[in-house]
Amino acid sequence: MIQVENLCKHFEIRHRHKNSWAVLRNFLKRDSSTLKAVDDISFSIQKGEMVGYLGPNGAGKSTTLKMLTGLLVPTSGRLEVNGFVPWQSRQKYVAQIGAVFGQRSSLWWDLPTIESLELLQHIYKIPTARFSSNLEMFKKLLDLDEFLQSPARSLSLGQRMRADLCAALMHDPAILFLDEPTIGLDVVAKQRIREFIQQINQDRGTTIILTTHDMADVQKLCTRAMMIDHGKLLFDGALSDLQNRFGGQRRLIVDFEEPPTQLKLANATIISQEALRITFAFARETRVAELISALTRDHAIRDLRVEEPEIEATIRAIYEGNLLSA
Amino acid sequence: MAHSNSCVHLTYSSVRLFWEITKRSLQRHLTYRTATITGLITNLFFGLLRASVLLALLSGSSSANGWNAQDIVTYVALTQALMVVVSVFGWSDLMNTVYRGEIAAELLRPTSLFLFWLAQDIGRSLTALVTRGISIMLVCYFVFAIKVPSSFGQWLVVLLSLGLAMVISFAFRFIVNLAAFWSPDARGMARFAFIALGFASGFLMPLRFFPDWLQHVLALTPFPHMMNSIIEIYIGSSDARVIEILGLQVFWAVTLTGLAQLILARATRRLVILGG
Amino acid sequence: MMLYRHLLLAQLRGAMQYRVSFVLDVLSTSLITITEFGAFALVFSRFQGLGGWSLVQIMFLYGMVEFAFGLTDMLFDGFDSPTFAQHIRKGTLDQFLLRPANLMIQIFGSSLSLRRIGRIVLGIGIFGYAVIHNPQVWQLEKLWYLPFVLIGMGLYFGGLFLVGATITIWTVDSTDAMNLFTYGGKEMMSYPMGIYSDWLRVLFTFLFPVALLNYYPALFFLGKPDPFGLPAWMPFLAPIAGFVMFLVALKFWQFGLKHYQSTGN
Repeated sequence: MIQVENLCKHFEIRHRHKNSWAVLRNFLKRDSSTLKAVDDISFSIQKGEMVGYLGPNGAGKSTTLKMLTGLLVPTSGRLEVNGFVPWQSRQKYVAQIGAVFGQRSSLWWDLPTIESLELLQHIYKIPTARFSSNLEMFKKLLDLDEFLQSPARSLSLGQRMRADLCAALMHDPAILFLDEPTIGLDVVAKQRIREFIQQINQDRGTTIILTTHDMADVQKLCTRAMMIDHGKLLFDGALSDLQNRFGGQRRLIVDFEEPPTQLKLANATIISQEALRITFAFARETRVAELISALTRDHAIRDLRVEEPEIEATIRAIYEGNLLSA
Repeated sequence: MAHSNSCVHLTYSSVRLFWEITKRSLQRHLTYRTATITGLITNLFFGLLRASVLLALLSGSSSANGWNAQDIVTYVALTQALMVVVSVFGWSDLMNTVYRGEIAAELLRPTSLFLFWLAQDIGRSLTALVTRGISIMLVCYFVFAIKVPSSFGQWLVVLLSLGLAMVISFAFRFIVNLAAFWSPDARGMARFAFIALGFASGFLMPLRFFPDWLQHVLALTPFPHMMNSIIEIYIGSSDARVIEILGLQVFWAVTLTGLAQLILARATRRLVILGG
Repeated sequence: MMLYRHLLLAQLRGAMQYRVSFVLDVLSTSLITITEFGAFALVFSRFQGLGGWSLVQIMFLYGMVEFAFGLTDMLFDGFDSPTFAQHIRKGTLDQFLLRPANLMIQIFGSSLSLRRIGRIVLGIGIFGYAVIHNPQVWQLEKLWYLPFVLIGMGLYFGGLFLVGATITIWTVDSTDAMNLFTYGGKEMMSYPMGIYSDWLRVLFTFLFPVALLNYYPALFFLGKPDPFGLPAWMPFLAPIAGFVMFLVALKFWQFGLKHYQSTGN
């Protein structure tokens, strides 16, 4: 469905100077540098996949997304989506994709939501029968009835996102691009959007690519995650793989019956101790059973549990520590 | 003793505050350099067109109602130089803060809202005068040989008249902007006021060329004192009436400022009652 | 075309929600024309004429430009540089590009400054008054040419708006400079070209074909001789000048879009 080979997008950054002498010199000799927003990325996505595209701000996520949707022309590399080169046959291509940019609405600001949808029917030339059956279905799934007659400007953020999702799907796109679809929403609204996205993917086989900062989005929705930073694709695979490879240390939290004496464990270190509770950290490959049996041999234990590191923490560690490129 | 001291201190600090606001406003406006240059060229081009029309009207006769060709060119240069200084095209900053709800925070400040905005506006005006006004006058002086006041005394009254015009123009615009407290459509209404300002202040055409009856009607309004009066004094075509003109300018500056305070007080009360 | 109609109707429905401010807008834009032309007409009474033109003759020029410019300004509102700069900044241009419809039609349909109706109606009024009071115009073969002149002006100004929009892809500081050509050109065309200095007139006849658009046609309609002795076919260049301008602007627009798609914003 999506084929990307050695995709690059470089931007020329011109340096601006404050004083007029430098401006003049600039005019004669261009003072610029190249920013590699996307640097030699390759991947392919199959029909029906749901892929999370991750990376810190300015990593190259939206540049990639813009190229995939035909808004930007790559500097070099090959890019084919659903048999099209996006920027070459724009009008034909965009008829087959849907896109929601979380921060921007595609609805007409002053028009009742339903009229925006009707205008989109004309733009996408959607047959009336299909339009009404889709509308019926989305009305149910997204609870649109409560605000279908209100203009976009008066919708809450959650309502607007629901309306925008509906707008992006009315023409049955084969691929759906979602740029931060849950940004700024409360927990309930987020959950609702996620369930809807999942359902669309399952029922219609729509290929979905989403960028997000909310790891819960990826955890709940995506079987596959791609991570990009400084324009380079750092990771491409299952989210659990990411966790396994970079999740760092796990934790064992133990409640003792009485203050333990001469506490020592091979392969684990104590990272905190409060009253009768002691927390150990241990490497991913260490077997928990061994640790526990070593503990229970010498001490009376009331309770214990093992904690996986949070995905958020893993991601943060990757961003900050450049774990992947190292 | 202590009392009078604190009084002195108070006036000093408010003058100081006024100056600080003005200075910052100046600095902010001075940063847009390229915009200033294209603005200057556009301004001169429009001036050229307007002067062409007026001079073509004059052609044949040596003067019209007391103005000769040089006076006319000087008139055009002055209007082009001053239009931003006295905001002929209007101003709605205050209105915008009302609509954005920021006005409530401004009313909490321990300074007069009128003076606070006046200081900002003077800063804006002075920048316009320094960047656009003076450069336009200089270009016109060297290229079109416009008139220049002949004595120090005349320069002084011109500047005095200009200062008063700034205050009158500001007070008028302030009052118009206050309409935002009462109506959500004040923007549209303000536009009428500013179009009237362009016409009645002598910006579109010299008031002196209007039919006599219209001149008499306009003389009863504050509009001529926002632009036309400065021009008359600068060109020197109303030398006998300088004191009278300045007197009227003072009258309008005081009246409109007072009126602005009155309306502002009502607007504030309204805001308090309606809760923003 | 169907799509354009749908989009425009949507704009209208949106605008009609703010009826009071819409009416105020229409009235105030009318007032601009009224005061500008009014000031000129009031002053005119003190003088003998303007470069050999009577007031009703000038009204012919003035009304024609006011109408043509007002109409173009209204239709091309989506391309007006401040509006278009918003399209770029707020990402609406990207939205347009993500839809399977002609881009220009979407921009045309994205906004319509209906408030210009006031200027358009007044332009027609001034022009109509001028036609009635200039009997030289009352000839069928002359009136037949009139629509072509108006179309020429529309294309010229439309082209200017298109150029202005394209420039905002690189810099948003262009508004002032563009005003020189749009509003400046319109201002210039409102009066007979003979009143301007020679260099200005030559510049705006041959480099920017402003004089070809309505001054020479007006000479033809009003049966006035050309004071500059240019060939007799000068009045008939108006549609060609407008067409060429629009074509050049269109090329520039396409070039600008290509740049936009390679750099984004």
